[in-house]
Amino acid sequence: MRAADAGLMVCHECHQLNRATLGIEHQHCSRCGARVHIRRPNSIARTWALLITAALLYLPANLLPIMTVRMLGSGTPDTIMSGVVTLAKHGMFPIAAVVFIASILVPTFKLVGIAMLLISVQRHHPMSPRQRILVFRFIEWIGRWSMLDIFVIAILVAIVNFGSLASVEAGFGAVAFASVVILTMLAAITFDPRLIWDNTEAGNKHD
Amino acid sequence: MPESAASARLEELPIEQLVGCPECDLLMAKPTLHLGEVAECPRCGCELFRLRHRIVGPGLALVLAALLLYFPANFLPIMQLNLLGRVTHDTVWSGVLSLYNSGMQGIAVVVFLCSMAVPLMKLLCQLAVLLCIAIDRAKPLGLLLYRFYHHLREWGMLEVYLLGILVSIIKLRDMAELSLGVGLACFAGLLVVQVWLELVMSPHQVWEALSESDDARR
Repeated sequence: MRAADAGLMVCHECHQLNRATLGIEHQHCSRCGARVHIRRPNSIARTWALLITAALLYLPANLLPIMTVRMLGSGTPDTIMSGVVTLAKHGMFPIAAVVFIASILVPTFKLVGIAMLLISVQRHHPMSPRQRILVFRFIEWIGRWSMLDIFVIAILVAIVNFGSLASVEAGFGAVAFASVVILTMLAAITFDPRLIWDNTEAGNKHD
Repeated sequence: MPESAASARLEELPIEQLVGCPECDLLMAKPTLHLGEVAECPRCGCELFRLRHRIVGPGLALVLAALLLYFPANFLPIMQLNLLGRVTHDTVWSGVLSLYNSGMQGIAVVVFLCSMAVPLMKLLCQLAVLLCIAIDRAKPLGLLLYRFYHHLREWGMLEVYLLGILVSIIKLRDMAELSLGVGLACFAGLLVVQVWLELVMSPHQVWEALSESDDARR
């Protein structure tokens, strides 16, 4: 039985149960004072909006250079992919794999995964709720690791600072990339995982 | 069906004896836990509660240790790079400054928030919440700060930054002479203490302790 069916609402923040009172539009949690809802309002529409914005920025994030390494005046701009290729060419395969996973696989998986969760909630999907909640938890947990490349840029810009001899500059691809990471993290926060279970019990509405 | 019989009884229980899963909304009777035990949702596997022996004492010790490590971790050099006799240093703070000065203000702000501001605010919130519980005063403020802490949690990224340091070390190793600094040890220490602190401060117990005074002690 769902808490919603018993007229109870779980607080998003402190997880306290609150009895839904009829006629009150904005109800607050009896323990922590946060706004409580049966389900997060407009969860699906908001998650879609964040996800589509992230998908649009995904292109410049991957095509524009994220940083330029200058040695003796001549600079080579690096995109995310070319950075991984350079690492692999120098024989640093484990670290190339880490950067590839964090910067390319994870953002792509997040975009596809959240879209899949949204579609599965909107239409009845053959994937079991258990599988979907695992996908959701994985996305929620892994999201932050994509910031790896941004931190590497911050460190390199600070330390490779030898004037005309050698320097590193950040590029606009990095701005787009950081935005993609932040937007997909927000999308995962906005998505209400309880929606996954709603359409598994017969006759339950969602949205 | 035994399930429907059980749920009919569930509805009759008072709200204090019930618990709802925050991830799948399953309604259950509240289990009684012994020390060190964990309750998980039977349907989705989400962790509901965990009962720990003491949170205030160890929590305060860890918060203070983390705050002591915070400043050396962010302002002492993580590494030095020596290229043809010229030496440069890197600290977490200098990374933010260099990005800012090179015209990448947006990224600089993101790095500043995720690696410096949010971790510090998280620690200060935890300190205030633990103090509220310890001295049994100002609990409404404690509740507000603990809510704020839960919103910040996702955005503190010390562990990702540490991986970034490792990737940078490997990238720079071939380019010039690299030596590691004290800042790195402090940073790693800060990360360990912070993770440990999150394990000690079991959220369910903190919420209970913060809401206790109103009905039980006054």
